[in-house]
Amino acid sequence: MTVADVGRKAPRRPKPAPGAGRRSPLRVLGMVVVLAFSAFNLLVLYWLIAASFKTPVEIFTKPFALPVRWFQLGRPLRNFAYAWDQAGFGDAFLTTVVLVAASSAAIVLVSAPAAYALTRLGVRGSGPLTNLIAVGMGVPFQTVIIPLFIGLSTVHLTDSLFGLFLVYVALSIPFTVFLLTGFFRSLSDEMEEAAAIDGASPLRTFFAVMLPLARGGLITALILNAIGLWNETLLAIVFLQSQAHFTLARALFTFYGAAEYQSEYGGLIAGVTILVLPMLVLYLVLARRIITGLTLGSGK
Amino acid sequence: MADVSFRGATRYYAGVDRPAVDRLDLEVADGEFLVLVGPSGCGKSTTLRMLAGLEGVDEGQVWIGDRDVTALPPKDRDIAMVFQNYALYPHMTVGENIGFHLKVAKVPRDERERRVRKAAALLGLESYLDRKPARLSGGQRQRVAMGRAIVRQPRVFCMDEPLSNLDAKLRVQTRTQIASLQRRLGVTTVYVTHDQVEAMTMGDRVAVLKDGVLQQCDTPIGLFAKPANLFVAGFIGSPAMNLLPARVDGDSAVIGGHAVRLTRGQRAKLSGDEVMVGVRPEGVDVVDFDDGIPVVVDVVEELGSDQFLYCSFDQAGSGGLVEHAVTARVAGMSPNERGAKVGLLPRREAVHLFDPVTGSRLED
Amino acid sequence: MATIVAAPAKERGAAGKPGPVGTSGGHLVRKRRLFWPFLTPALVLYVVFLVAPTIVTGVLSFTRWAGAGDTPQFSGFTGYLRMFASDSFRSALVNTLMYVVVGGAGTFLLAFLFTMVLRDMPGGKLVRTILFFPNIVAPVALAMFFSFLFKSDDKGLANFVLGAFGVNPVRFLAPENVTLTVIGALVWASSGFYITILMAAVDRIPPYLYEDAEIAGASAWQKFRAITLPLTWDVVGVAGVLWTINALKVFELVFVLAGPGTYSPPTAAWTLGIYVFDRSFGSQGTPDYGGASACAVVMIALTSVFVVLLRRLMRRDTIQF
Repeated sequence: MTVADVGRKAPRRPKPAPGAGRRSPLRVLGMVVVLAFSAFNLLVLYWLIAASFKTPVEIFTKPFALPVRWFQLGRPLRNFAYAWDQAGFGDAFLTTVVLVAASSAAIVLVSAPAAYALTRLGVRGSGPLTNLIAVGMGVPFQTVIIPLFIGLSTVHLTDSLFGLFLVYVALSIPFTVFLLTGFFRSLSDEMEEAAAIDGASPLRTFFAVMLPLARGGLITALILNAIGLWNETLLAIVFLQSQAHFTLARALFTFYGAAEYQSEYGGLIAGVTILVLPMLVLYLVLARRIITGLTLGSGK
Repeated sequence: MADVSFRGATRYYAGVDRPAVDRLDLEVADGEFLVLVGPSGCGKSTTLRMLAGLEGVDEGQVWIGDRDVTALPPKDRDIAMVFQNYALYPHMTVGENIGFHLKVAKVPRDERERRVRKAAALLGLESYLDRKPARLSGGQRQRVAMGRAIVRQPRVFCMDEPLSNLDAKLRVQTRTQIASLQRRLGVTTVYVTHDQVEAMTMGDRVAVLKDGVLQQCDTPIGLFAKPANLFVAGFIGSPAMNLLPARVDGDSAVIGGHAVRLTRGQRAKLSGDEVMVGVRPEGVDVVDFDDGIPVVVDVVEELGSDQFLYCSFDQAGSGGLVEHAVTARVAGMSPNERGAKVGLLPRREAVHLFDPVTGSRLED
Repeated sequence: MATIVAAPAKERGAAGKPGPVGTSGGHLVRKRRLFWPFLTPALVLYVVFLVAPTIVTGVLSFTRWAGAGDTPQFSGFTGYLRMFASDSFRSALVNTLMYVVVGGAGTFLLAFLFTMVLRDMPGGKLVRTILFFPNIVAPVALAMFFSFLFKSDDKGLANFVLGAFGVNPVRFLAPENVTLTVIGALVWASSGFYITILMAAVDRIPPYLYEDAEIAGASAWQKFRAITLPLTWDVVGVAGVLWTINALKVFELVFVLAGPGTYSPPTAAWTLGIYVFDRSFGSQGTPDYGGASACAVVMIALTSVFVVLLRRLMRRDTIQF
């Protein structure tokens, strides 16, 4: 009946449904608040990175300007050098990398089989047992530091990275097992059954079939634990006393008091940046995975 | 005065040049049950949503009664909508679902409850008023969605494929219920479906859409007996009408070597020496090979009450011989066999002619 | 016919009740032997490092022990009584509850507000990523940033900005103000996380429910109350539990912000977490392991109470869409 005209162009933006309320004042206010908030966050990041190159005077008198003084003096990285050497952040960095990597790996190594056993081996009471372990997530660390300290000191494992390593691994188990049971539960059964029909032993099935399938979950668990442990402070304070053993967070904690005393604010902020930057980079690369992983259990 | 009218209504989707609904002119009379039908993507749902106010109108207008509602939000249009997914609130009971719109409109509780009960009675839902949708069957949920629409006592009902999620048997049952309900309530209804059987059985009039363009709006019989173009001819009726290209030779259209005599009126409308001939499967008789279009029977479908013969023949087309399929409907249990060579003779009154270029019907 | 029907029934394993997949049938019972070897390492670590110490803390709370060089002596409830009577505990308790309740209300209010705005906003996902970032920053680093932000004289960043508007410096970190300040900081740092959770929950609500409400003439607030809130309630409950657990634990943020950094902040700013730390590993005074343990017991009791209360409040049948 009607012949479409050649050359009619669609409008750039089709009209919204009538009364869609897009312009309501409340919504506009909301958007302003949201943008302000985001801008604030970005500003914080900028402030941090800029301040780590500034002198204390600059930090306080010109917080939003670009760093100038140290550049003029030809030592742009002076704050970082100070933190790295004088405040021991260089050693702490290495310590933290090793500790966090080892701990994260160990956590996953221990938790993955446990999660697998609890979800797919169909033993009676698996459910309640899983809940029992998950409940551990709700226990504040403060509840266990005293006995743990006492216990570790009797085996001379206080002020020891190995002792901290054990504590880190053990206390991360509830969360990791919880996370991984979710993953394992969501895997389809067919692969397992196919493997069984092919005559694979149960152990073989686990390593050759289930682990690769759960790779996404394992990597997420690895990353989330790494982030959590990188940032962990309380346990490090309790279980590490000598500076030689400090992790980054621990070093920063100690440095804080000293820095105030010496007005070494530039070095302090550089230290903060050293602590934060690796995680920031990780976040930028893996944002979606991190966000999904951390909120996975909660979103059901 | 029409109760609903679309005047040149047009809707575009972002980034697509071809409009989803293209300058639609359509009028629905007061109390009429109008069905919008067409294949996926033809714009029928979009049209309905423009009427409901859920979709913006880029050009043209939508009128309800004597009001131009084009810029009005849904709540000011006095319409009710039944969604394909029913859109029942999972956390509310049946009673609360049905009464939700009244509650939002601040109807006092007594009257609200009275109207809910009345609608529930009409739909046989009284004993389910306290249940949540999760514990209802598909058919019951559909009725709750209807109840919610009815209780509003709107000026226009909009129904968006309300039967698609039901199984076949339930669909047939519910179809009649909806039609009789609408007759009883007398509310103007615009109903969208992709199923032409639903369209034919339920609608007072049916509007066929394709690619956003209205093809024809007519009573079911009108669509069936006088399809306005090739698309409508092939869309309405099951099995579909046979549409065969023919060569004009003197006073006949030649199909597969067989000359179909044309009436004077038909001949008058011809332009050029090609024409599309349409004839429904029930409009051909099976005769001897030489007395009709000579075909080979490929498949015999025996249904007991009817028999369908799926046949084929070759005809010279551009670039050599082209095979064409023809379907014939005959009385059940006729002695026809696969592979048989028969002739199909279209009855004169069953022949439709269409312009091969525009697809439009050539009127007698 | 008969044989085809019989075979599947046999394959399904014994006596009617199908077990968890892949575990019925003779050759798969072998699998179960893996159970204890797989579970034991994790279970042992868990029990040794978490369960047993918690019990020990419980026991210790009934003793009096001044740490190394002293031996624990049973003292019954006197430790608890003394703790409840002390000002430092009282302010710690009040502060902690403030963080949980006020901070929680603030965070969730903000999170809901932001979720509703971000849903339809172009670039909503990007904004969410930006807002989430404080969650991966070490709390100790956040605390240090805030100490710069809220320095009481005009050197503090906030006072610097306020000064540009001609407002006098505010003593954000004075003991009487610090709790409010920390609540603000906590809400800021946590909102990204809860916004993400809520957004995911709200995204699951089918749009046609909102369309029907639109036809009904519901206002934005009505849509929120009738659709958004009820259909995300269970997720709100889970998020509430997470918040409670984390808010009760607050330590670094207050310790660094309210105090000089090397030793504990003034008691008016304490939280339960700081109380435990100070009474056991704090560098001032003699340790009081018994008292610290008593406080730890209170912490875990509060956690349980809140979690149970929340689950009760938020409990409802699972919603299917």
